[in-house]
Amino acid sequence: MTSPLKFQIKQTSAKPTRAGESARCGTFALSQSNTAGTDQQHVKRTIETPGCLMYSLKGAVPHLTPDNLRQQSFGGVNVSLEQILQTDQPGSFSRWPETSPIPQFTGSKFTLAEYLRLQDLITFCDLRDYSYAAENFRHPTTPPTRKLASNTDNHAVLSTPKGIRQLTLDDYLKTVRHYRPDVVVALADTIAETTAPNEKRVRKSLERSLKWLDQILLERAGQDGTIEDRRAEEEKKRRRERKEKRRSAAAAAKAAGEQQEQDQDQDQEQGAGTSKEKEEEIYIEPIPTEPWTDVGLFAAVGGAHLEESRIWSAQETAKKEGVDGFVIDTLSLSALDKDARLKHVQTSLDHLPADKPRLLYGLHAPEDVLEAVAMGIDLFDTSYPFQLAEDGRASLYYYGPRPAGQDKSNSKTQRSINLWDDEHGDKFVPILEGCRCYACKDNKHTRAYINHLLKTHEMLATVLLMGHNMYQYSQFFILVRESIQDGTLQEKSTAFLATFGKEPTRTLEKHPNQIIVEAALQKRNQRLEGAEEGVVGVIGMGASTVNTPSLGAAVGAHAEDVEMEDSESKSKKRHETEEAGEDGGAKDEVVEKKVKKAAVAESSS
Amino acid sequence: MKSALKWDVIAKCGTTKARAAVLTLPHGPVNAPVFMPVGTQGTLKGITPDQIEGLGCQIMLNNTYHLGLRPGQELLDTCGGAHVFQGWNRNLLTDSGGFQMVSLLKLAEITEKGVQFESPHDGSLMLLTPEHSMSLQNSIGADIMMQLDDVVSSLTTGPRVEEAMWRSIRWLDRCIKAHKKPESQNLFAIIQGGLDPALRKQCIEEMVKRDTPGYAIGGLSGGEEKDKFWRVVSQCTDLMPREKPIYCMGVGYAEDLVVCVALGVDMFDCVFPTRTARFGNALTATGTLSLRQAKFKDDFRPIEEGCDCIACKSYTRAYLYTIVTKETVGCHLISIHNTAYQLRLMRQVRESIIEDRFPQFIHKFFKDLFVEKAAYPEWAVNALKSVNVDLIQGENQP
Repeated sequence: MTSPLKFQIKQTSAKPTRAGESARCGTFALSQSNTAGTDQQHVKRTIETPGCLMYSLKGAVPHLTPDNLRQQSFGGVNVSLEQILQTDQPGSFSRWPETSPIPQFTGSKFTLAEYLRLQDLITFCDLRDYSYAAENFRHPTTPPTRKLASNTDNHAVLSTPKGIRQLTLDDYLKTVRHYRPDVVVALADTIAETTAPNEKRVRKSLERSLKWLDQILLERAGQDGTIEDRRAEEEKKRRRERKEKRRSAAAAAKAAGEQQEQDQDQDQEQGAGTSKEKEEEIYIEPIPTEPWTDVGLFAAVGGAHLEESRIWSAQETAKKEGVDGFVIDTLSLSALDKDARLKHVQTSLDHLPADKPRLLYGLHAPEDVLEAVAMGIDLFDTSYPFQLAEDGRASLYYYGPRPAGQDKSNSKTQRSINLWDDEHGDKFVPILEGCRCYACKDNKHTRAYINHLLKTHEMLATVLLMGHNMYQYSQFFILVRESIQDGTLQEKSTAFLATFGKEPTRTLEKHPNQIIVEAALQKRNQRLEGAEEGVVGVIGMGASTVNTPSLGAAVGAHAEDVEMEDSESKSKKRHETEEAGEDGGAKDEVVEKKVKKAAVAESSS
Repeated sequence: MKSALKWDVIAKCGTTKARAAVLTLPHGPVNAPVFMPVGTQGTLKGITPDQIEGLGCQIMLNNTYHLGLRPGQELLDTCGGAHVFQGWNRNLLTDSGGFQMVSLLKLAEITEKGVQFESPHDGSLMLLTPEHSMSLQNSIGADIMMQLDDVVSSLTTGPRVEEAMWRSIRWLDRCIKAHKKPESQNLFAIIQGGLDPALRKQCIEEMVKRDTPGYAIGGLSGGEEKDKFWRVVSQCTDLMPREKPIYCMGVGYAEDLVVCVALGVDMFDCVFPTRTARFGNALTATGTLSLRQAKFKDDFRPIEEGCDCIACKSYTRAYLYTIVTKETVGCHLISIHNTAYQLRLMRQVRESIIEDRFPQFIHKFFKDLFVEKAAYPEWAVNALKSVNVDLIQGENQP
């Protein structure tokens, strides 16, 4: 089968001076035949490797609206199934429309990329949000549960925003057939425990993953991948029935032949070949399946901290025909420190074919990326710049020689600054001189302004920080690729580490200013909650039309102004009152009319 | 007094008091009638200045009270004002700060000197005088600044209303005197007088004598009956000079905008579109969609057909349902849509005035929004009848 993806290695490390250095530069794109049908408006981007997929939450890159997102040069987005597969929502396969419900695409297949407005980006779908592999990774809005109930032979367990969900192979296949992402990672039994798993658990997880991979490969080629499962099921069922039958027969007979019956029973258990009941004849009707050869398939290779298991997993997975790339599992290595984790990543890589792309999660700080790149990792994600933005931090690090003009803003050669710090309050300079991101360019938005936005809890703060950090991360990757090509990777990596040291381990502690601001906000929200409940009570509109304060809070502390009390809430209340009219009698009438109006308008449109 | 604006009326409605104009301010032209989105703290709810500009917005509001607290006057002076501070090169309007103090701070006390209130930071007593308000607004550098007025609730009756009216006039004089940049910033007077026509008349007479570059109708939208609200607005526009822009403060519901334009108002502001967006409510010509409701989970239409905002161009209601009130992107998208909706509505209003088909526009607007005539708000029907548009009978009239 020809791969729907095209991975081309342009150059491997020019000077492999250090043992195991096998950095390479390349491009990761959809193959020509696969893009032929794409409409001209949405030309798929290419990912230059080593490079990144953009990290997303619920299918949206955090803080960036589609237009702001397009200012970034990353070529792809990573969408985790557990972020969008929710039973009651359209992301759920049971509700997925067969053909596009969007008029301009009528008749064509409705894809995940269309649903998430990612047609021009490589859409990469993994099962879970593996960002928890990074230390103290924090989700601002929907903290996923890392440790879930155990996976079984029948399903993997996901943590969706609306709770735990079991995903069977069947569900998985349906989802892929509906979504048609550009790349999907095969269903795998990933070990999410924070403690080191034992050998038996590791073995089981690898076997399960490999079995699922076989089945998925069959299904992708249009063959019935679950036929063996159904045959086994059927055999089990028949055996149970026979046993049942014999037992009842025996009971009916109540004869002396009991001994003989038992012998027979044993015969049957020993082997199908000798059975008189002809188990061979079980015929399972293959289910006609629709191939999805347009979807690239990545497979996870794991094995936790057990070297033999890691080797075995890599070797066995590499043998499978049709796997387009690999995800190197690090989640099962959480109990280990970074160096040890990288060592195990190396073990996996040593046993994977060199010509296929490899993706790594969770080791995302610049110096970790440099190590992983040197080992031959091609793909990362942007969870690092996102996490910095969440903390109010802005990147200043650089790779290679210090860019011209940076001396002023990064005189202390810091890797990042925290814009919550009071010292930035009067700095009317860009985050980083010379940076071309939306915030820094033309000195449009200064450190002082972002400091102001953070302290007033305005959402634009994270929009600007996210844009800046993402931009700097992409610049970093550009320079890393260049250094691979000109043979200076090792030299510059060493220099980077000497200049910036190691990324301090992230803590969940908040900045003191953030604590103050959020406390004030909470106080205000509580007051508002009481007030708005009052409004609901008077108007009696119910939850459908009246704003529920707790939902405002759910948007994260960002949603509201932090001002002691702000004009908006008051004005809103003014409007509520206005809407309700003056006297009690009129209130309900007016409101009822409004609701009715809305209902009529909806049903008629 | 000096004026730093140009007011060119380019068309007048043949039926109502509506007019289309170009208001030229220090930071560029503004097409009126205009809705001004409110960026309270020097930012419009997660939307970048480029995005706001992309929506066609020519003027935005900031709140003096908030900017005075943070970043504070000193920093505003250092960086050269609010335009530079927030990276917004188009026009800004600031309120006086008085409304916030009175409405937000329980312990505010109004004396002839000014508004005394407790600092939200350290609890100490602070005083906002007309001079201080002007000084702050001069530092902010808004293209239009508002006088400090003595705000009373529109539900208040009795001598307090008259007292507030006269004090607002005295404070206007102090504001004019304290205003340091009349050649680059326009000071607007605020008409007070509650719901009392006689007081409103007196206030207008006095304030018009001061000849400020523009006038605002204040003291409304405070929970008064809509039928009283429109009468005050209409009375004011009748008595105010027609060669200057008229601004009705705090009005932003679609039907209120359309009616007030017909009554002769040129400028509006309201936090409602962006605030309601954060709760997942999207505004459309046929009513508000509460995108948190489960009925939208399988609805693959855009928020509003024909809207060219980034939310409508990119996403379906079904997808927005999964992210509104959950992801900040959801907030940004609905805020962008709602702002686009308000601005589009005003553009349509303006075009229909220029093409002299504003009455027809009004009929269609109410039909789209309320569907049945029985659902039309009575006050709107009355208000429009006063300017020769009969919503119930006169659909076929020219």
